[in-house]
Amino acid sequence: MVVYAVLILNKAGGLIYQRDFNPGLQKISANDYLIIAGTFHGVHAITSQISPTNDTGSSGLEVLESEHFVMRCFQTLTGIKFLIFAEPRQPNLDVVVRRVYELYADYVMKNPFYQIEMPIRSEGFDRHLAAYIKPQA
Amino acid sequence: MNRDPSPFRPTSTASTATSPTPKYANLTASTNIRYSLTRKSIYDRHLNRTKTSELSKSAFAFLFGEMVQYAQKKVYGVQDLEKKLNLHGYAVGQRFLELLLWRDGRTAKRETRILGILQFISHQMYRAIFQKQADTLEKVRENEDEYMISDNDPIVNTYISVPKEMSQLNCGAFIAGIIEAVLDGHCFPAKVTAHTAPNDMWPGRTVFLIKFEPEVLEREALRVGS
Amino acid sequence: MASTTRARLGEEVWKSRTDKINAELVTLTYGSVVAQLCKDLDGDYAEVNKQLDKMGYNIGLRLIEDFLAKSNMQQKCANFRDTADVISKVGFKMFLNIIPTIANWSSDNKQFSLLLDENPLADFVELPDDGKAQGELWYSNMLCGVIRGALEMVQMQVDVHFVSDILRGHDTTEMRITLIRYIDDEMPQDDE
Repeated sequence: MVVYAVLILNKAGGLIYQRDFNPGLQKISANDYLIIAGTFHGVHAITSQISPTNDTGSSGLEVLESEHFVMRCFQTLTGIKFLIFAEPRQPNLDVVVRRVYELYADYVMKNPFYQIEMPIRSEGFDRHLAAYIKPQA
Repeated sequence: MNRDPSPFRPTSTASTATSPTPKYANLTASTNIRYSLTRKSIYDRHLNRTKTSELSKSAFAFLFGEMVQYAQKKVYGVQDLEKKLNLHGYAVGQRFLELLLWRDGRTAKRETRILGILQFISHQMYRAIFQKQADTLEKVRENEDEYMISDNDPIVNTYISVPKEMSQLNCGAFIAGIIEAVLDGHCFPAKVTAHTAPNDMWPGRTVFLIKFEPEVLEREALRVGS
Repeated sequence: MASTTRARLGEEVWKSRTDKINAELVTLTYGSVVAQLCKDLDGDYAEVNKQLDKMGYNIGLRLIEDFLAKSNMQQKCANFRDTADVISKVGFKMFLNIIPTIANWSSDNKQFSLLLDENPLADFVELPDDGKAQGELWYSNMLCGVIRGALEMVQMQVDVHFVSDILRGHDTTEMRITLIRYIDDEMPQDDE
């Protein structure tokens, strides 16, 4: 499994977590990441309201594919978005994103020193996320 | 022995006298507590009813986390926060000790030696509360009155990441409080503190440093002499 | 969704996706928290209730993520009756290993009660014999806040309070839950 990066957006579209795991994506500035997060948040809102299908309960943009990467977005019922960037044609990203959500529930939500909606600085989350995404060979 | 671990009842482990347990307190004049007539009161339920009951670790983690957050609002600094957590643990430990000894029934014995009580803590007590044994029990070489119990992954810290600016903090102070209560209950007064001591395998490894009061060592010396 | 489906989900999450811990540790720790509040607030039980509710609310805001992540629920509840099922059969089950009985629906389907036949938080507990606590303290009030906080995160504003408690000498322990509104006016589709 080659996952390039994981991003987490809070309800308002603010970037609260960004981490690269494997080379493959261009390095961009922290500010550019914030712009990507905000822009994606807006696009996602539009895609969940205007949908080419007649489905009233659209979940919004979920997958974005290009020659160079695939991006999977998972929005929780509470409005948090998990974005996974991975190698093209990477299967089972659904499973990956669910697992990342579980790790978030464990090591971010159950950490009393984390303030909701704020940037995530949690050594336990970093460690467990890395162990899952990029297991030591 | 007081058979009631109610959080509101101060358990006095110093006195071993049996406190009278009012069986039908609502019928006596000494209390105004009302009991449902159709429900069993705590005095009618068997104390072993919950011995093997389980709840989710998440429920505990959220409760514990909120306890830490609440305590943090009212303290000055890390030491003060650890003190509060220690006191919470102490209250829990006092009550657990009563349960443990009561459950041991006739086989319960009061440990009278330092090694005995420390083994009781790192084996029986640890297993009963945390469903595992403590990982190591050691004597501090340099100091006659100090011992260490280590836990590679204390259950209270599983989901906690301490921020850098509070790096001295170990919420295992709660468990230190439990240990302190069990020692006190056996007349081994000591100060117990929790310290983070990671190794490659266990980033959350915690050492509980137990420093006995001088009288404990004096007594121990008499026993060795005899 | 059928309530038997919810019950099966709750059972499955509890059995295979929940790390367990000694129940008495939770019970005694909760007791220590309540006793500390009673001390800090000088026996002002109305304030203790409020503080417990507030602490529960803080928990609820976080616990909902754990609930959703572990239960893998990705669809909103069909209606408030379904929400009641999910709270009782999945929520209570996965965290406290109990399934409160759902009862006393109001005719507009916006109010129901949860009857806690067992309450692990209150094992071992007898309220202080001070002539006050049994009339004023809602010992398990943290649960109200948890439900309120958790539902708020999934766009439901509710009122939750205890109406009776075995610890007060009542025959039941009953929580009353009232839907005030769906936040954002996003009404879920009604399947009835």
